[in-house]
Amino acid sequence: MSKKVITREEWEKKLNDVKIRKEDMNKLVMNFLVTEGYVDAAEKFRMESGTEPDIDLATITDRMAVKKAVQCGNVEDAIEKVNDLNPEILDTNPQLFFHLQQQRLIELIRNGKVEEALEFAQEELAPRGEENQSFLEELERTVALLAFEDVSNCPVGDLLDISQRLKTASEVNAAILTSQSHEKDPKLPSLLKMLLWAQNQLDEKAAYPRINDLATATLEDPAI
Amino acid sequence: MPTTTASAVCTTVGNNILLRLTSGERDVKLKALRELKNQIIGNRTKKLSFLKLGAVPAVAGILSDAVSAVDVADNDENDRIVKDIIVQSAAVLGSFACGFEAGVRAVLDAGADILIQRGCLVEEMPLLKSYMEVVDAGARSLKMIYQSKMAPKYDFLQEENMEFLLSLLNNESENVSGLGASIISHSCKTSLEQKLLFDAGVLKRLTSLLGGSLIQRDASLESIATIFKNNPEVVSQFVGPDTGRTLSCIIEIVKDRFARTRLLASLCLIVIRNASPCYLQDVGIKTKLINNLLELLDDPGRVGDEASFAFSSLIAEKEDMQKLAFEVNGVDKLYNHLQKGSLHPRRFEGILLALADMCSKLECCRSRCLSLQVLKLVVDALAHDSSDVRSAACMCLRSVSRSIKNLSAGSFMNETIVIPLVRLLDDTSTAVQVAALGAISNIVVDFTTRRSTFIRLGGVKLLVQLSKSMDSTIRLNALRALRNLIFLAEDKCKEEIFMELTASLLASLICDPEPSVQEQALALVRNLVDGRINSVEYIFAEDGIILDAVGRQLRIASKAEIEIQGMYVLGNVATGKESHKEAVMDQLLLRAENKAQSCIIKFLQSNDSRLRTAAVWAVLNLTCSSSPGSSGRLVKLHDAGIVSHVKNMVNDPCLDVKLRVKTALEQFNSFDDSLASTSCLQFLTVRAVGELSHVVDPSSKEEESIANYFRFSMKKNKKKKSTRTVKFCFDVPADSL
Repeated sequence: MSKKVITREEWEKKLNDVKIRKEDMNKLVMNFLVTEGYVDAAEKFRMESGTEPDIDLATITDRMAVKKAVQCGNVEDAIEKVNDLNPEILDTNPQLFFHLQQQRLIELIRNGKVEEALEFAQEELAPRGEENQSFLEELERTVALLAFEDVSNCPVGDLLDISQRLKTASEVNAAILTSQSHEKDPKLPSLLKMLLWAQNQLDEKAAYPRINDLATATLEDPAI
Repeated sequence: MPTTTASAVCTTVGNNILLRLTSGERDVKLKALRELKNQIIGNRTKKLSFLKLGAVPAVAGILSDAVSAVDVADNDENDRIVKDIIVQSAAVLGSFACGFEAGVRAVLDAGADILIQRGCLVEEMPLLKSYMEVVDAGARSLKMIYQSKMAPKYDFLQEENMEFLLSLLNNESENVSGLGASIISHSCKTSLEQKLLFDAGVLKRLTSLLGGSLIQRDASLESIATIFKNNPEVVSQFVGPDTGRTLSCIIEIVKDRFARTRLLASLCLIVIRNASPCYLQDVGIKTKLINNLLELLDDPGRVGDEASFAFSSLIAEKEDMQKLAFEVNGVDKLYNHLQKGSLHPRRFEGILLALADMCSKLECCRSRCLSLQVLKLVVDALAHDSSDVRSAACMCLRSVSRSIKNLSAGSFMNETIVIPLVRLLDDTSTAVQVAALGAISNIVVDFTTRRSTFIRLGGVKLLVQLSKSMDSTIRLNALRALRNLIFLAEDKCKEEIFMELTASLLASLICDPEPSVQEQALALVRNLVDGRINSVEYIFAEDGIILDAVGRQLRIASKAEIEIQGMYVLGNVATGKESHKEAVMDQLLLRAENKAQSCIIKFLQSNDSRLRTAAVWAVLNLTCSSSPGSSGRLVKLHDAGIVSHVKNMVNDPCLDVKLRVKTALEQFNSFDDSLASTSCLQFLTVRAVGELSHVVDPSSKEEESIANYFRFSMKKNKKKKSTRTVKFCFDVPADSL
C-alpha cells in the first residue's frame, strides 16, 4: 500500500497554520510546576508571565516538605507532616498508610537497625496485614528482607532502591493533591502521549516529518 | 516473634503518653497529644489499644479544659498554646471516630461531639473563630462522627439546630460546609425533615456548592439526593428557574472526571427521577444514565461496587428502562463482570441483583441470560459465604425462572439447581430462606411434571417444616411454593405432599393469625382438591377438619382475597360426588353469629368481580342438572335467598360474572321443565362447563399464555370431559392473582 508522502516544507507550512495561544501554554507550564511541586519556579513563573496558578502556592510548600521527607528516607517526619496538613488523609487511605509504614521498615533495615526493624515489623506492619488481607503479599516481601544477610543482592533487594522511595513519595503527593481537590497528574504528559499516539496512527497512512525525540522535539525527515 | 513483647512495648508507650497527657504543663500536654495523634491515625490496632487505656475520656477532658481556658486568655502565647491544644485534641477525637465503631461510641459517650461543636464552631467563641485551623479541625472531626451509623440524630425540628446547620452550609471553608452537607446526608431520614430542609432553602446553597471543590461537590450531591429521596411532595415543589439550573448542573456533573462524583451525580438524578413523574423522563437522559452506570462498573474500587446498586434503583420495576438497558447490551456487560471471578461480596451481590432486575419483566433478558450460561455462575453463588450474595443469587434465579418457555422445557428442574436451592431452605439467615422460597415457587411450576426430583431431594419435607415457622413471612412463602408445587401434580405426588402436610396442619394454617398466610393456605387447598374426583377426598380427611376450617374462615373473613380462594375451594369440592356437594351445602348454609344470611350472599353482592365470579361458580356446580341431588339443593338455595340474588345479577357489569349467571339461570330453569331429549346435549355442555374449577386471570400476560398452553394440552386428553384452565401463582407481587 503506498503511503502519502509529505515533505518537510509542506509539513512546516501546515504546522504554521495551526494557532496556539500563549496563555494556554503558560497554563500548561504552571500546571506542571504546581503539580510536581516546584514552588519557587512556580512563584517566579507567575511573576514573570502573569499566569495564575490554580492552587494556592502556600499549600505546595507543605506538600513538598512531605514529599522531600519521604525522598530522604525520613518517613516518620513525613507522616507527622501529613497529619498536620490533613489528619484525614492517612485515616482514609489504608493503602498509602501501609506503604509509608513499609518504607519505614525498609529504612530501618537499610540503616542496619535489625532489632528495631523486627520490633517495628511485629508491632506496626503485622497489624496492617491483619486488618487488610490484600497487604499480606507485599508485607511478606518486605519482611523477607530481614531474612537475608546481604540485603542488596537478595530477591527482594529492589525494595532498597531509591526508586522505591520515589514511588512512595509520589503516592503521598498524589493523595495530598486529591485531598485538596486538585488533579494528581499534570496535563503535560497526557499531551505528549496523545502526540505519540497520533503519530502512530498517521504512520499507517503517510510518511511525514516525525518528532522522535520528545526532549528536543525536532522534526526528522521521513525515511524514503 | 513473641507477641507479648510487642504488646507490652505498646502498652508502655501508651501509658507513657497518657501519663504525659495528665501533666499540668501545657507544653508537655501538647506534645503528648501530637504523639497520640500520630500513633493512631491510620492505625486501627493502636486505636483499639489506646481506647482500652482510656484515652478518649482523657482527651475529651483536655479539650473541655482548653475550651474553658479560652475565656481567660490573657496573652498571645497562651492563646496559641490553647488553640494548638484544641486543634490537636479535636484531631485525636476525630481520628478515633474515623471508620472505627468502638471509637465513635467512646467519643460520643464522652460527649466529645458537643464539646467540639461548642469549642470550635459556635459563634460565641470569637477569639478562637479567628483561627481557621480550629474551625477546620472541629469541622473535620464532627464530619467523621456524623459519617458513622451511630452518629447522634440531628434534630432538624429545633430552630436553633436549623440555624446552626445553615450557618455551617454558608461557611466559606469547605470543611465546614462539608460538615453541614454531611449532617444532612446522614441525619435526614423522615419526609418531615426533608420538607423542613427544603423549606429552609438549603437547596440554593447546595446548588452553589456544586460548583465548588471536589469535596464540596460530592458532599452536596449526597445531600441533595437525601432531601429528595422517596419524597414526591418535595420534588413537586421543586419548580421554577432554579430547578432547571440545578438539574442541568447535575446532568453536567454526570460526565465528571472523577468516578465517585459521576456515581453520586447519577444517584442524585435517579432519586429525583424516581420521585417525580415529569422530571428527567426523556430518552436522552435515560440512556445517559444507563450507559454511565454500566461504565462505572469498570471501576475496580468501591465506586464500581456501588454502581450496580445504583443501576438497580434506576431500572427496578420499570419495563421501559429495562428495555433500554437491554438494547445497550446491559445483560452482556453485567455478565462480563460476573465472569471475572473472585469478586468482592458487595460487588457480587450488586451485579446479581442488577441481573435480577433486568430479568424481572422481560423475556428477552431472561433468554439472553440463559444463552450466556449465567445460571452456572448464579448457582455457584448459592453457596457463597456471604448471606447477601446467596440471597441475591436466589432473587436472580427467581427472575430468570419466570421464563415460561424455559419452565416448560424443564430447564430449571435439575439437580444442579434444585440441590443447592433446597439446601438454602435450611439457611441460617431468614432473608436467604425467603429468597430461596421465592425461587422455588417458580421452579416447581414444572410443566413436564418432573416434580419428583424436588420431592426426592427432600424439598417437600423442608417446605412443610418452614410452613410451621415462627416467622410469618417464611410461612407465607413456604405455602406459596407448596401451592405451586401441588398445582396439577400427579396423584402420587399429591399424596406424598399431603401425607407430609397432614390435614391438621392445613386446617391450622387456614386459621393462621396472618391473613396473607390464610390466603395461601386456602389457595393450596384449592389446588389440592383440583383434579380427579378422588382429590376432593383430601378435604374430608380427619373428620373433615379442613372443610370446616374453610367454612369457618369464609364466615369470618373480611379480606377479598381470602374469600375468593375459599369460594373456589368450595366450588371445586362441589364438582365431586353427591356427598361432597351436600357437605358444601352444609357449610354454605351454616350461618355465622349475628348474621342473618349465608356468607355467599355477601360475596354475590361484593364490589370485587373476582369474588362474585367465584361465588357464582360454586352455585353453578352445586346445581348442575346431571346430579341427582341438584333439585333438592336448588330448593335449599332458593329458601336461603341465594337463588334470587343470582337472578338479580343477570346484567352484571363484569362479563365473566354475566356469563356464569346466564348458565346458572339456564340450570335453574331446567329443573322447571321436564327433561326433554333435545336438551340432553345442552345439559352435557352445561355440566362440562360446571366442572371448571379454575379460572385464569387475564391481567397477567404470562399467566394467559400458560393457560393457553394448558388448554391445548388438556384438549388432547380425551379422558377428561372438560377443558380446564388453571390458576396458580408465580411469585409476583400481591396484586396479580
